[in-house]
Amino acid sequence: MPGQPQAAPVKGFFTDTTLCIGCKACEVACKQWNQLPDDGFLFTGMSYDNTAHLGASTWRHVAFIERPAPLHPQNEGAFSWLFSSDVCKHCARAGCLEACPTGAIIRTEFGSVYVQPDVCNGCGYCIVSCPFGVIDRREEDGRAWKCTLCYDRLRADMQPACAKSCPTESIQFGNLEDLRKQARERVEKLHSQGMREAYLYGESAASQPGTEGLHAFFLLVDKPEVYNLPPDPIVPTKTVKDAWTAMAAGALGIALAALGAAFFAHKNGAQS
Amino acid sequence: MSTVRYKTSPDPVSTDGRDIDRKIAELAGEAADQQASGAAGKHIEKQAGTWTQLPQPHAADPTYYDRPLLNESVWGWAIPTYYYVGGLAGASLALGAALELQHAAKFDRLIRRCHWIGFLGCCVSGALLVYDLGKPQRFLNMLRVFRPTSPMNVGAWILSGTSGASAAAFFFRQAGYAAGLFGMALATYTGVLVSNTAVPLWNASRKVLPVLFAASAVTSAGSLFELFDQDEDEARVTRAFGSVGKLAEIAASVIAEQHASQVARVGRPFQRGFSGFLWRTAAVLTAGSVVMNLLPRPTRGKRLASGILGTVGSLLMRFALEQAGNASARDPRASFHSQREPLAQ
Repeated sequence: MPGQPQAAPVKGFFTDTTLCIGCKACEVACKQWNQLPDDGFLFTGMSYDNTAHLGASTWRHVAFIERPAPLHPQNEGAFSWLFSSDVCKHCARAGCLEACPTGAIIRTEFGSVYVQPDVCNGCGYCIVSCPFGVIDRREEDGRAWKCTLCYDRLRADMQPACAKSCPTESIQFGNLEDLRKQARERVEKLHSQGMREAYLYGESAASQPGTEGLHAFFLLVDKPEVYNLPPDPIVPTKTVKDAWTAMAAGALGIALAALGAAFFAHKNGAQS
Repeated sequence: MSTVRYKTSPDPVSTDGRDIDRKIAELAGEAADQQASGAAGKHIEKQAGTWTQLPQPHAADPTYYDRPLLNESVWGWAIPTYYYVGGLAGASLALGAALELQHAAKFDRLIRRCHWIGFLGCCVSGALLVYDLGKPQRFLNMLRVFRPTSPMNVGAWILSGTSGASAAAFFFRQAGYAAGLFGMALATYTGVLVSNTAVPLWNASRKVLPVLFAASAVTSAGSLFELFDQDEDEARVTRAFGSVGKLAEIAASVIAEQHASQVARVGRPFQRGFSGFLWRTAAVLTAGSVVMNLLPRPTRGKRLASGILGTVGSLLMRFALEQAGNASARDPRASFHSQREPLAQ
């Protein structure tokens, strides 16, 4: 159709946590490019992570895991570091998008999930619908915010600020299909080098049916929980049929109670 | 909006948290429009208040420093209050329609009362929902699309329909039937709204919550009517209606707790802490209300006691559920266990 924007190939992130050195350049680049305000300053006391969690004004978050277990090739005895730069997963089937009552959250031509700030009315439903705890509302602002996959940069043929700034290429950006291929090769390479624990998290619909695959997927070397990722996330609308069925039963119950009460009182009243 | 930092230094800085001088810089980034005060906000209080004790590394059941996985809901007191008011309005309109079917003049006053409670309930509901929005002036955006995947959007349409039909019922009695049908949806869709979330406790009890909300709506309506002066016929209707609702509410809350507790960690907020206290108190009050209904020789005192106990009970139940859901969203193991245990089976 004329005037319709041409669909670009689906874009995404592949975050290889084995390459992450915890420098937080991605966090800074994201804040600066998107002109995000700070969240206030908090000393969490947990390793070197004072960002703590993704939120309305934090769209990249580097997790610092001090693990009391060895990891080849870190020669630290029964201790190892894990770092992982977390981000919105831009799920193939997105809980926030399906929950949004205003249509503010849309799927872009790059396959990413985007919140239109001029439409969002801050109802907060997307926040409880995200199985990853990504999207949040900023109190002073009143709207929900999250990673845009640098929509403005993508439209100008640039890669997202976090991927651009990553000094070790732990964050890789590109066409989702290419990234999946690269990621599988990377896992094979790591396995052959002796890092048998390496696996991909959410790279396909088969591996994560609850979200039908993530457009921002990860290479991990421990259980997802260690990185504060859910082991088997399920978009709420996948199971909502149960609730609609129960609603029909509930509505029927109200009807029966009302009809019963009216009928009973009418009959008994007539006798007395 | 901005705050002054480094106040005691010779060169204090006025900032909204971006450290960009708006006088010389152009803000055009994706989040340039995000309003910020620069003061440490609720975000930081929430993050800082997460730990009550130092996290212990736990190889078999790991978490990320016991930090929450999910972001908990941002809904304030207005939303559980709305569940109550919307349920009350919906069940009243359904009762009004059922009474209309009896074609008995002795119920005219009660039917009018049902329509008034329904209509005023819809007005209050709308006000509560708009009040809770982050951008209240954009409330009409709820109706710019029709989106069946979003129970909130469906609910906005249901509330609009109920409001219209209940207002029309003042002029055309036939509209009372439509209002009754809309009312049934209004009283129950909120159960779907809560179930359709990633919050483990709400999601795990999704097969029961809409029924619990329906029962609680009937309780609310039955209890409120008992606070009015009623003749014997009217009292008989509302007492029967309310008693059924109360018994069903107690049963549904027990089943909801069972469903949530299939994974022990998920159902925990129903048993422990402030949410557990509210949840049990609500059930006790509702039970007290039904006892007052079923005692022989109804008196005005018993009716008032029943009405007050039932009203407070169903209102508390909504708040208990909100609190319990938030508590389970704060507990990363609730999500992890609910996803791991089905995998292990």
